[in-house]
Amino acid sequence: MTDSRPPRPGTSTRGRWFLICLLLAPAVIVPLLVPLYDSEDPTLFGFPFYFWFQLALIPAAVILTGVAFALAKGADRMDRESHGTRRGEGPR
Amino acid sequence: MSDVSTVAFSVFIFFFLLVTILGFAAARWRRAEKLDHLDEWGLGGRSFGTFIAWFLIGGDLYTAYTFIAVPALLYAGSAVGFFAVPYTIVVYPLIFLFMPRLWSVSHRHGYVTPADFVQGRYDSRPLALAVALTGILATMPYIALQLVGIEVVLQVMGIGSESDNWFIQDLPLFIAFAVLAAYTYSSGLRAPALIAFVKDLLIYIVIFVAIIYLPTKLGGWDAIFSAASDSFDTFNKENADAIASGAASPKAAIPPPLLHWAYASLALGSALALFMYPHSVTAVLSTRSRSVIRRNAALLPAYSFLLGLLALLGFVAIAAGVTVGDPPNPQLAVPQLFENEFPDWFAGVAFAAIAIGALVPAAIMSIAAANLWTRNIYKAYLNRNATPSQEAQQSKVVSLFVKVGALLFVLFVSTQFALDLQLLGGVWILQTFPAIVIGLYTGWFHRAALLVGWAVGMVYGTWTAFNNPKVGDPGSHFGSPLDPFLSVPWSDTFLPFDTLVYIGFTAFLLNLVVTVVLTAILRAIKVPGGVDQTSPADYHADEGDVGVEEELDPYTTTAHP
Repeated sequence: MTDSRPPRPGTSTRGRWFLICLLLAPAVIVPLLVPLYDSEDPTLFGFPFYFWFQLALIPAAVILTGVAFALAKGADRMDRESHGTRRGEGPR
Repeated sequence: MSDVSTVAFSVFIFFFLLVTILGFAAARWRRAEKLDHLDEWGLGGRSFGTFIAWFLIGGDLYTAYTFIAVPALLYAGSAVGFFAVPYTIVVYPLIFLFMPRLWSVSHRHGYVTPADFVQGRYDSRPLALAVALTGILATMPYIALQLVGIEVVLQVMGIGSESDNWFIQDLPLFIAFAVLAAYTYSSGLRAPALIAFVKDLLIYIVIFVAIIYLPTKLGGWDAIFSAASDSFDTFNKENADAIASGAASPKAAIPPPLLHWAYASLALGSALALFMYPHSVTAVLSTRSRSVIRRNAALLPAYSFLLGLLALLGFVAIAAGVTVGDPPNPQLAVPQLFENEFPDWFAGVAFAAIAIGALVPAAIMSIAAANLWTRNIYKAYLNRNATPSQEAQQSKVVSLFVKVGALLFVLFVSTQFALDLQLLGGVWILQTFPAIVIGLYTGWFHRAALLVGWAVGMVYGTWTAFNNPKVGDPGSHFGSPLDPFLSVPWSDTFLPFDTLVYIGFTAFLLNLVVTVVLTAILRAIKVPGGVDQTSPADYHADEGDVGVEEELDPYTTTAHP
């Protein structure tokens, strides 16, 4: 099993994948930090902070995931090239 | 049938007929040459692009039941009710990272179900069976709840509730389900994929109208939030004694510090569980490429926004003075709000949106459960030499049984029991996480350790949830998904922590600890771990390091080992 694996390939993209995880981390962690947003004020358009902050986290997460997607596309292509498993175009 | 509005009912029937036609027509949509293959019937040919996948996965995950239950929680003043929003934010980065790996390895090896992967990875029939049975068990009450969603809408429309005869009373539900069963049988996953377009468009229209039109009518969001908070304050004041003695729960819009961990663990636990559900895996495996999954992880949160707004309709219902009968059934809040506040024709659209919103996930869930049965029970134990055509046939027939089972469940057992089991379903499915997700990154876990860890999580979760009484009703069961962290089910006095957390999450942590410790022991004494059928290149090697063939023709891939 693990010990029978070949040496780790594709180390050139490790930094990029680390960056991707770093980008995605706030989208996972911030929504779980309830003390950060469990207050009424400041309100926005009549929405207590608690509600609008969580709703605002959604577009924020979308932006982070979108950037991560762009990075992952390149990283995937580099990985495939280093593995020699893919010819032709990148992801569609 | 006195209070059925003819207009609302006609609109409802119009949309129902429309999706029925679409459901049957779907058999011809994007048709493949070979239809008698499980990849075709059960995974839509593994061919869906970003656009279709967005509707399909959205239609699959954000179910009618969600649309009824989440606002019902807020309506009822549950302080943790809004957890659905962080839950559906947290889930997408996770999907972004691990689902492409599952997609890749499944494409390489022709896996249709998560249990197929577990079998290939760990070479353990008992473990694969455990994962398959957990999936089926967790999915069944989920399907039943979709029926509850339809039932609630029918009840508010006043259809079928007049007769004393149970058959007449439930006839509309029978018809809806018979039609659903028929087109799922003939079209497979293509049916919900096509119907999801109608469902989601309707839901989006209804929600946007609701969140713009209703607040205007009721004096703005300001007024709505203060109406809700006033109503909760009044309740807490009137029931101060009961709350102090523990016979009632205080109502709140925002979780007090005591419930912060409950809120966060519900969100995280549910997010980890969501993509372990067979129907989520089915939807993900039906996509054409890894990029489709990743792109959707960035696009699907649009539904979370919708869900958040929809949840707030619970407060809108309070502000609009919606009452939900005696004894109160908060699940009626949103349909009743639509009935009270919308013109008849638009109420019809809204009811159709909810009912169709139940049909899409019910179809996908029954397909997913049928695939699990076919691949991991029928093919693994009953007919080991089943041909692809026999597999497809088996799955089609079993999807019918699954739906009939869910129907009988709702009709003859009780809705409350379906709800209880749904709560357990989430706890159960989370116990397959170590075998599936961690298995995507490492083969280090020992198959026997995973099986024992799974069993520990299942028993702890079930027992704890069972022993958890409803507030004000000592001795009752399945009262809440929350329990003090690491409480033991056999003692009420042993409480190492008094912080409430999601039972599924505690069970998951126990599962993980047991699996790690046992693996270390079993590896140290060199108990054979089975032959891993997958190779690092199938997921592309290192953790975080991914990338494999974009597209593979399912017919040229190696057959299931």
